[in-house]
This record gives sequence, structure tokens and C-alpha cells, in this order.
Amino acid sequence: MTGPTPTAPRRDDGAGASDLIAAPLALLSRLIDWPMRAIQRVIGERRMAYVFLLPNLAFFGLFVFVPLIINVVFSVTGGAALFPSQRPYVGAGQYAYLFDCGSFLDPNSCREDHFWRGVSNTARFTLFQVTAMVLFSLVTAVVLNMRIRARGFFRAVYFFPVLLSPVVVALTWKWILQRDGLLNAGITSLGGERILFLVDPSWAMFWIVFVSIWAHMGFYTLILLAGLQAIPADLYEAAEMDATPRWRTFWRITLPLLWPNMIVVIVLALIKGVQTFDEVFVLTGGGPGTATLMVVHYIYETAFSNQVQNFGLAAAASVVLGVVLFALTLAQLAASSRKGAA
Amino acid sequence: MAQLELSGVRKSFGATHVLHGIDLAVADGEFVVFVGPSGCGKSTLLRVIAGLEGVTGGSIAIDGSDVTGLPASERGLAMVFQSYALYPHMSVYKNMAFALENMGFKRDEIDQRVRRAAGMLRLTDYLERKPKALSGGQRQRVAIGRAIVRDPKIFLFDEPLSNLDAELRVATRKELAGLHAELGGTMIYVTHDQVEAMTLADRIVVLQAGRIEQIGTPLDLYNRPDNLFVAGFIGSPRMNLLPGTVARQGIVRLGEGGHEIACETGALTAGATVTLGVRPEHLALSETTGLPLAVELVERLGGESYLYGSSPGLPQITLKLDGQSGHQRGDTVFLALPSAQLHLFDETGRAIRS
Repeated sequence: MTGPTPTAPRRDDGAGASDLIAAPLALLSRLIDWPMRAIQRVIGERRMAYVFLLPNLAFFGLFVFVPLIINVVFSVTGGAALFPSQRPYVGAGQYAYLFDCGSFLDPNSCREDHFWRGVSNTARFTLFQVTAMVLFSLVTAVVLNMRIRARGFFRAVYFFPVLLSPVVVALTWKWILQRDGLLNAGITSLGGERILFLVDPSWAMFWIVFVSIWAHMGFYTLILLAGLQAIPADLYEAAEMDATPRWRTFWRITLPLLWPNMIVVIVLALIKGVQTFDEVFVLTGGGPGTATLMVVHYIYETAFSNQVQNFGLAAAASVVLGVVLFALTLAQLAASSRKGAA
Repeated sequence: MAQLELSGVRKSFGATHVLHGIDLAVADGEFVVFVGPSGCGKSTLLRVIAGLEGVTGGSIAIDGSDVTGLPASERGLAMVFQSYALYPHMSVYKNMAFALENMGFKRDEIDQRVRRAAGMLRLTDYLERKPKALSGGQRQRVAIGRAIVRDPKIFLFDEPLSNLDAELRVATRKELAGLHAELGGTMIYVTHDQVEAMTLADRIVVLQAGRIEQIGTPLDLYNRPDNLFVAGFIGSPRMNLLPGTVARQGIVRLGEGGHEIACETGALTAGATVTLGVRPEHLALSETTGLPLAVELVERLGGESYLYGSSPGLPQITLKLDGQSGHQRGDTVFLALPSAQLHLFDETGRAIRS
């Protein structure tokens, strides 16, 4: 007669894996336990919150707040020296130089014409890009909100470019648009003439707007899609019972209820548009000439790229740009708070 | 005002069959209430009538014209939604005027209709307010006003009172009854609340699992339920349903004690399995004879009392008494079952009638 076979205790692989993580964490928590208690004894329990905030605050201060101050200091100093102590104070001289213009609408009449060309290009770029992007995002969101076949697939496809690095996006499109690129290969194979998409000034502006929209549209579409889905379905049923034509339903029901999201999208797109740099830098390098030179690109070149590195002027231009962005951010916060209150 | 006729209306969502051939005629000016438990298909039936859902089979006619294929916007009906579905960005006035603008009414006519409806519904002081600045009851009145201004062929109400508190629900129910009397329109009303159904309806349609169980006036359904489902659904507290067997012609035997009750047994033969139904308010106390009931719970509501108890071999029995009962938990009472107010159902659940 044989008894029951003794079995070895089974090892739970899941528990084993979690032990591998839990054990060092437990050790770590024991190690910091004593100093944390000591600090709490000294400063009291209520002030412990600041201890937890301190690492993040230090990081923020070091990499955001301190550079911000240095930037403002640089903007009121001159010369080529790197250390502020070696830079002569010039007051508002850099700003006066930037704003020394016969007419702000004519960059050629300004002493620092590249800056104003950058401002002009950025304004044109932002106007076209934001208008087109908001329209395309709205149409795409409305279509993706309908009961269409493979809706999930299309939603993913439209969002996918957002996940890509701007440099990857720009390099991909450069490969398509350059003189011997994919698009020209297609055109010439059909018997057409090569078009210098990135060299012809009007084409270059068109394509940087296009690529920028292609890269960022998914994000704004997502915000608008979320807004559309937040509109209760029974409002549309009520509109149907009220014999509302479809276009009127869109104008009188959808658009007003989506408006808070639209405002957020417009302001965010404006902020992003004014900051545009990397895609344009890779795609056209600001050219041809200064046809696609943006403000941020101007700041970068003035500070780091030109033979004479003018940190003071670049810093002053940064401060001007910062003021514009700050105003736009305030507008965005105001729009968000209105949306929250609605 | 209009007549409505449904013939063999079926509705499926994929493989799920929600309505199984509904036949119903609603007369001009009638107030019909669809009532039934959750998931019985009453709201779907209303949406099918409205045109918000298409039918899988059958036809819908309004005033003799087939509207089965017409979209909601062309049926000339108005609907009051459970959620009110007011346009949040429009004022009360705009909410009520919106449909009239869609229909191309002139501004003067719109203004006249909106102000008349607002007057009827006591909304004149709130015409410039947005829905979020109104109470639940006021929002409900705006939703009703939005329907009234259109002067629709049929009013459709989808559980319109379910978002209101108990007190407001009673008040609004009375207003709705008054409105029907005043407007005289054909109204179809969906609810799961049988009190709303009993108090508002000219006729009630009881639905279960996508089928009509019975159509009749509220008192018809109360006095002469066609089957066990209607008997259990209509009446509050619900009817006591006691299993038993036919002892002989005119006698039903109940429970372990074999208590014999005189009752109309129709064509049923001795030994047939039956269910005896008796409403809590029709049970009476007897001194020493009758069905014994061990009292388990007493609820005294002031003007009336409810006794809950059990009798060997029978499910819980509820008894309604006038006034404030002196009985206590643990007491044994004897119940008299008046044969004139008993309902007998055969094995399939159908009512036995002479």
C-alpha cells in the first residue's frame, strides 16, 4: 500500500517577481524611515509637506526659474561675455534696438530686420496654421464621432503623428519633399517637372504649415472629439423631434456646446504656433533666405549660431516672446476656467 | 390631436429581440400609459413611435397614414425626455421657440405661442433664464412647454417625472392630468411607476419582455387582471399570490393545513394546480376561523397598517388594515378571504373567469 506522494511546495512565479521588487523597496523605506522621522521631530508634522515638495521645487528652480532670471539679466546687458558679472549694463538698450523700426509692418525698415521678419513669418505661419488646423481638427473630430466603419482604427491613425518626435516628422517629410524626394519622383514619373517645394518661398511656407498641421492635428482632434462626446445624445434626439435640419443642428447645438473646447484648442494651437522651431529648422532651416525664419529660430541663431553670438539681443527677444506667450497662457487659463464653470 | 395604430411592431437590436409584435390602437385625445418593469421594452416602443428608432417589422400609422418610414422630424410628434434634454446654452424662451423657428413660423406667432405656453406652465418669469438656473420641476415644465408650443399630433412622455423628488412628482403629476384635460391632446406616457399609471391613464398598456400583457382602464387592470404578471404588477402593496389546488368544483385548497376557500374555479377539475390571488386590502380578520397567519412584522402608517406574516406552506402574506393595528410580532391572526374579491389563475398563469 502506498501513501500519498509528498509534493514540493509550489512556487508562485507572480509572487516571486513581486518579491524581487518589494524586497529592495522595503529596505529603501527602512533606510529613509529614520531620517524622515528625525526631520519631522524638528520641523513638525504640518511642515513635512514642504519636505516632499522640495526636490521638485529645487529641480524647477534650477532649470526653469534661475534660467528665466539669467535671461532677463542678459537682456539688460551687452557684450559677448558669458558671465553676467563681466557683461556691461545697457538698460533697455537691447529692447530699443529690437524695436527701432520705421514701420513695424515693414521688416526692412527695422534695424534688426531679421527679428521682425521672424515676427512677420511667425504671425503668418500661426494665422494660417491655427485657422487650418482648427478647421481640419473640427471636421475630423465630427467625422470620427460618427458611426463609421473602422472608427477606432481611424482615431488611432489620426493620433499617431502626435506620438512622433518633431524631428522625426520633419525628416520624414523632408525625404518626401526635397528636390529628389518621393513626391518629385512621383511627379517626374508622371511626366511632370520637378518642383522645389522647400526652396520656392511660397511652397516652403505652405509645406511647413502642412507638416505642422499633419503632426499636431491629432492632439486637437482628440480634445474636440472628447468635447463632442460630452454633448448628451438626447439633445440631438430632442433636436430631431424639433425638426431641426442637420446643418442647423451643427450650428445651433453642436458648435455652441463645443465652443469652450474650441477656445482651448485655438489658444493652445496659438501658443504652439508661436513657439514653432524644430520642424521648420529641420525642414527648411528658415530658408529660402529668411522666407520661413521664425522668432524662436531667430533667437537660437542670434545667441548660438551666428559668428558674433549676441546673448543680450537674443535674451531680449526671448523676453518679448515670453510676454506674448504669457498673455496667451492667461487667455488659455481664462478659457479653461470658463469651461470648468460652464 | 391624432389617432395612432401599431400593427405587429417588432424591434430587434442585433440578435436581441426587444419588441415581439405589438398591436395597439390609441384613440384621438386618449391618455395611454405604457407600464412595465425595467427592460420590458416600454421606452423602446415609445422611441419607435417617435421615429427615433426604426422598426424591424410591422407598421405605424398616425391618422390613417403610414409613418413607419418617416423620420422623427416629419411625424409631427413632440417628446418630453426623462432627462428633459433642454438645450443648456439657450434661454427658456429660445428652448421653447427653437422648434417653431425650424418650422418657419413667423416671429410674432412664435412669441405668441411661447408666451401662452409659459403662462399655462407658470414660466413667464423665467423666460430669459438658462436651464441651469432653474429647479428640476421648472426644467420639467420647460420640457413640457417645448412640446406644447408645437401643438403636436401626439405628446410622448418618457418617464418625465422620474428625476423629481417624491413631493414634486405628485404635484407635477396633477399638473399633467390638468394639462391633458385642458389641451385634450393624445398623450402616450411611459413609466415604471404604477401609481402614475393608475392616476393619469385613460388606458394602461402593461408590457413584459416586449409583449403586451393586458390593455385596459386602470380599474379594469386592478379588478380583472388577465394573468399573474398583471395581477402582481398592478396594485400596491402587490397582490398576495398563494399556490394551491382545486379540491372540487368551487373550492380551492391552500397550504399545508389544506385550508379550503370558496372560489370560482371555472372549468378546472379537481387536483388542478392553481394560484389564488387576493389583494392585501381585501383580506379581512376573522375571530377564530380562517387561514391562520403568524405575524412577523407590523408597519403602522397612521391611517393604515400593514401586517406581514406567514402561514404553513404559503409564501409571505401581506394584510392591509384601516387605522392603527394593535397586533404585535408573534401574534397569530385568522384571515377571511372574501370569495367575490379572489382571483384564480391556472397553471399557465391565465385568469380563470366564469
